[in-house]
Amino acid sequence: MTQFVADLRASTDAGLLGVARYFGLLYGPIDASLPIDQALRKSLRYRLAPHVGWRHALGGIAYLLFLLMVVTGVLLAVYYRPSAQEAFPSIQHIVSGVTLGWLIRDVHVWSASLLVIVVLAHMARVFFAAAYRPPRETNWLVGILLLVIVLAFGATGYLLAWDQSAYWTVTGALNAFEELPIVGGITVGLLRGDPIVSGATLGRFFAGHVILLPWLALAFLAFHFRMVRRHGVAPPVGDANPTGPGRRFFPNHLLRSFMVGIFALATVISLAILFPRPLGVQAQPGQAPATILSTWVVVDVSRALVYYMGGWGFALFSLLGLLLAALPLFDRGTERSLRHRPAATAIGLTFFVGFLGLWIAGRGLRTPVLEQPSIEVSAPGLPAQDPSPVDSTANGGGRP
Amino acid sequence: MTAILVLLTIGFASPAADVSAITTNVRLLQQPPMRLDSTYGCLACHADKRASFNQGVHSERGINCADCHGGDPSVTTLPAAHRGRFVGAPDKVATVSLCGSCHSDPNAMRQYGLPSGMVAEFETSQHGVLLLQRHDQKAPTCTDCHDAHTIRRPDDARSTVYPTNIPQTCGRCHEDKTLMAPYGLPTDQVEKFTRSAHGIALLQKQNFAAPTCLGCHGSHSALPPATTEVANVCSRCHVQVGREFEVGPHGEAARSGKLAGCLGCHGNHDTERVPATQIAATCSKCHAPGTRAQTLGDAIQQDVTQAAQDLQAAAAAVAEVARAGRQTGDMEFRYQTARTAYLQINEVQHHLDTDRLEELTRRVRSISRDLRATAEATAERNWEHKLWLVPVWFLSLSWLALSWLALRRMEREGSRL
Repeated sequence: MTQFVADLRASTDAGLLGVARYFGLLYGPIDASLPIDQALRKSLRYRLAPHVGWRHALGGIAYLLFLLMVVTGVLLAVYYRPSAQEAFPSIQHIVSGVTLGWLIRDVHVWSASLLVIVVLAHMARVFFAAAYRPPRETNWLVGILLLVIVLAFGATGYLLAWDQSAYWTVTGALNAFEELPIVGGITVGLLRGDPIVSGATLGRFFAGHVILLPWLALAFLAFHFRMVRRHGVAPPVGDANPTGPGRRFFPNHLLRSFMVGIFALATVISLAILFPRPLGVQAQPGQAPATILSTWVVVDVSRALVYYMGGWGFALFSLLGLLLAALPLFDRGTERSLRHRPAATAIGLTFFVGFLGLWIAGRGLRTPVLEQPSIEVSAPGLPAQDPSPVDSTANGGGRP
Repeated sequence: MTAILVLLTIGFASPAADVSAITTNVRLLQQPPMRLDSTYGCLACHADKRASFNQGVHSERGINCADCHGGDPSVTTLPAAHRGRFVGAPDKVATVSLCGSCHSDPNAMRQYGLPSGMVAEFETSQHGVLLLQRHDQKAPTCTDCHDAHTIRRPDDARSTVYPTNIPQTCGRCHEDKTLMAPYGLPTDQVEKFTRSAHGIALLQKQNFAAPTCLGCHGSHSALPPATTEVANVCSRCHVQVGREFEVGPHGEAARSGKLAGCLGCHGNHDTERVPATQIAATCSKCHAPGTRAQTLGDAIQQDVTQAAQDLQAAAAAVAEVARAGRQTGDMEFRYQTARTAYLQINEVQHHLDTDRLEELTRRVRSISRDLRATAEATAERNWEHKLWLVPVWFLSLSWLALSWLALRRMEREGSRL
């Protein structure tokens, strides 16, 4: 046995630890000249910068939520079937027939919303601390790209539920996007793959959601972590810089991360248990529902924007977000306190507070379907009615 | 790179072919080409009839001005053009025989699958009696309902006799108070019909199985059904209800003319179900309180109300289970069974047979109870999900507390350094 361990030690290259470091699980440099166990010990003795505190946990929570999405997503993929006929029944089966399937699904749904919020909070922290200034502007842009990937994850995953709300939200969004000059038609044609949202669309969204986006996300996450290690965590604003050696990676930092992680996980699971997403009605391409409900924070915000401010409100808010994302390209000052950056503070506050406000306003907003499908599938003159399986059969259930 | 992009675009986006092109083509197909015969002399002066010359079923069949009006279409000057068997504008009575000259001829109509008895039918109608026997010039002739010149097929939505246009066509005269006053006819039929179950089905839901005015009154032989005929008219569509009604005590009363058939309880133009809560009140319009008949009405109302509530509860139970994510195929199947029994209640109550009513009500109730029980079991199980919060938070809080203690000890011992 001792011989076996010794053999294993001698034959395993310490560079293997680089994989863990690549995925952000180890911070310290790896000394590849040492045997693997000693290299690990050396790496664990790494000390963080002295100013790293609880407020820097947001990025870590976002990563944890991402990993949680991967785990629950793989479990869901075991039973989920990406076809127009089977998608909805397979989710019914996951929720009612698979052990703890309901929990896995609701954790996946809730993580999707919390991930956006935590990523935005992480972004706000970096923004208000002006940590996007050189030399960290590359990482700010990579972060923005990761946010875009998170949004793409949500947008593609949203359709997979294949219920009326998901179907008609995606239909409305694609129809609206199609109106964009030049790029709109081609992009929507590629995404939808059919004149209306159909099984072809579901296949595209599924492939994007479970194959394309995860690899993209992992690659950019690794790059994001590499950049953090390269330039370090930005020192705090002001002069009160704590000095001296920072915390050790092990055990202090790891224990603190563990506490944050446990709290985040317990919160997600509790939300999933307390506020499960009810199943809607299977998607019916021929019949728009009277109202559509939303279950993803970004859809809530978009719908609140469109509902209260119209399409221009949505465009303006998106422009504000773009401005925020591109700020590092213009903001070259050295003053980092908020008092001396009134413009940046105003933009940031408007965007982040606005996002929160719109989320609250958009939750439970029952809007009628944004737009009809581009071709008439239903017979003309048929009133759009809520086609729940019972309602559609019970119209004779009136009074005799 | 561009080539790849183009290939990708074609490969993925080709099913999204231009939809607007298809709709444009459909519109072109609907518009017949203009056919204007410059050698047809009538149109030289009667330019206002050019549209009619081109449109409608007579134009399609090559039946033109001279075929009804006579005269000579090969010349363009008067008086030569109005020579020969020239009719000009026929009066109302002459119009009937003019149309009948072709439309009453079975040999002419056979090829088009059209009935040839329309003039004979018209003679039996109140319209025909007024016009042909009493020479009442206010009574309608053929061209009052069918346009004089642009006669379209009844399945053409532009036709005055297209199903959804019929109430308007009849209403043109029957909604006119001054015109109807001498005949003592009401003028609110169209308004009532529009609000009725029949009107909603026809005009709002485009359900062409629903009757227009013609469904009950007939078209060319238009007359209101007689008292003893009402039940027969309604049961042409409401077959099961009609059968139950016929064998029940009310059916006998209707046959002897004591009860105006279905109209005893329901409206004629404003046809509507009697609400479940109004059944007993409807009975008391004829039957005195305290009589056996009124007690029967109370019993029917109770059964029907009960069944309606049970069916509603059953529907709610199925919806609840569906929201909880369970497949509801078997529940929906049972719901349909309950609904069938419920629809049978609608029929059986016209027989006034309380035994069968009660049995059907019991059937609805028993299925409803089963479905409710399933829904409650599902709700119970979903509530039990919340129990998972206990171990989740117990473990989380204990781990958090232990970590916190360990962290404090470490930092006190200076291992931060």
